[in-house]
Amino acid sequence: MTIVVAYKWAPNPQDAAVRSEGTVDFTRAKSTISEYDPVAFELARRVADSTGAQVVGVTVGDASIDTSLARKAALSRGLDRLVIVADDRLVGADSTRLAAVLATVVRRIGDVDLVLAGESSVDVTEGQVAMTLAGQLGWLGLNAVSSVSASDGGYAVERDVPSGTVSMVVTGPAVLATTADAVLPRVPGMKDILGAAKKPVEVLSLDALDVPSAQVTLTTLSTSRPAAGNRQRVIIDGSDPTAAAAELVGALRAAKVL
Amino acid sequence: MNASSQTWIVVADDPAVSGLVVAARILSAEVTAVVAGRRATAESVVAAGVDRVLWLGEPAEGTPVEAYAPDVARTVAAGAPGAVLGSSEGAGRVMLGAIAALLQAPGLSGVTALERDGNQIGVTRSVFGGIAERRDLVTGGTAVIALAGGEISDPTGLAVPVEEVTANALTTGRLTGLRPKEKAPVNLRAARTVVAVGRGLKAKDDLALITDLADAIGGELACSRPLAEGVHWIAKDRNIGISGQQIAPELYVAIGISGQLQHMVGVRDADVIVAVNSDKDALIFKQCDYGIVGDLYTVVPALTAALAAKP
Repeated sequence: MTIVVAYKWAPNPQDAAVRSEGTVDFTRAKSTISEYDPVAFELARRVADSTGAQVVGVTVGDASIDTSLARKAALSRGLDRLVIVADDRLVGADSTRLAAVLATVVRRIGDVDLVLAGESSVDVTEGQVAMTLAGQLGWLGLNAVSSVSASDGGYAVERDVPSGTVSMVVTGPAVLATTADAVLPRVPGMKDILGAAKKPVEVLSLDALDVPSAQVTLTTLSTSRPAAGNRQRVIIDGSDPTAAAAELVGALRAAKVL
Repeated sequence: MNASSQTWIVVADDPAVSGLVVAARILSAEVTAVVAGRRATAESVVAAGVDRVLWLGEPAEGTPVEAYAPDVARTVAAGAPGAVLGSSEGAGRVMLGAIAALLQAPGLSGVTALERDGNQIGVTRSVFGGIAERRDLVTGGTAVIALAGGEISDPTGLAVPVEEVTANALTTGRLTGLRPKEKAPVNLRAARTVVAVGRGLKAKDDLALITDLADAIGGELACSRPLAEGVHWIAKDRNIGISGQQIAPELYVAIGISGQLQHMVGVRDADVIVAVNSDKDALIFKQCDYGIVGDLYTVVPALTAALAAKP
């Protein structure tokens, strides 16, 4: 069997510049394996090592996601092989587009019974692609997954939900989105990085995939920077902590905040 | 597909539907709810101000609500509403994902405003985790919209009957148990005062300084991301910002937090923001109402003492 890790090569908005008219400039933000995805790589490897499955990484996006650095970064994290769809027609693609392309790749790989993904991407931060992929495949989708292990005829899965930890048995194909701290991902060592160069990479053309076309489209009317708000900015010197604390508490009481 | 002017809402395990109903009413006079899960969940929706309740039937023992996502998607697609709204949390994401996939429509998250413009729906949302905002017009079919958590609704409308719809839930997942949390989950969104701490704190043992202040001021403890997901000093459900909670307390006290945009988007709707930071050039001093430039290790105990003193 095959376990797919659906991951993203993405920049961190922390390093992006927001222009005054509200558009976002990512040119100075370096891409990496998206922040929460190493957890999915690690879980996939652990499950595969106990079942003998192979682990295939799948990533889809614009042309910039296919570099030798990006390939190595993924392949050094416990993958057996990698499948990439990198096409500039996917610049700014929404979660449904990305999920539609991922679904065609998963079907093409064939004997997949588990897709693992991180909690959300670091750049878009919506946490939607994995669950839309489940919809696209018609598979069970579960998020907030904190543990996965092989069990009789399937997988034992735990989910971290507001009321506690839910345990489940999954006996059919499923897409699981993990919590950000489900496991501590290992850091790739020199051996992993050198080994990465020898692992197979398949680059699929978007045209070769039978991706359903978008039915609903978005037309952007305007962009803006979030309003910073009109804050009072009363700054108090704290070199005398007692006096500063008294001044602040007095001001908050006068303003009826306390 | 021609979408109608109706708005539908999707209710899975969470009966907190009042926010969905209010938002749905902005878009249309008529609101239909599709409910997956126990009959009790459907019954909690009948008087929430909706016009119809379509319920997918009582789940077999051990069936997770997520197993109904394909049924929910088929039911919504058959109704072809102009917009469908669901929760951005938990099973809501699974439902909306199945709907978005079936309709080949983008799923819209981080929504801050909705409007109807003739036959079209306008959606304003924060993008890239909140560092920018974008207003889009949805064309060609159903707008699929995820909304952040609401409150449990008081029954405000007339009760409508529950209409049962035939469903064929996935049988590939089975619930086997629930271990309740040792500590009840914190609801920071309901807190009037929140005291948050960031990387200015040097050691986990020093957290007592911050909890003492939170107790003195009557606030909930929160943190910036490094303390929740980096060093794990504070539980994840208390993390404020891009990767955590977005809150709007009456008073937000940020201690040892530099004020990066990715944190501040989580509190930009707070009424009053107070900052304590040793760096006078910290970004947070441009985004606060009151700031003390000083060492948190001396300023915070002084604040706790000042709060204890009678006015």
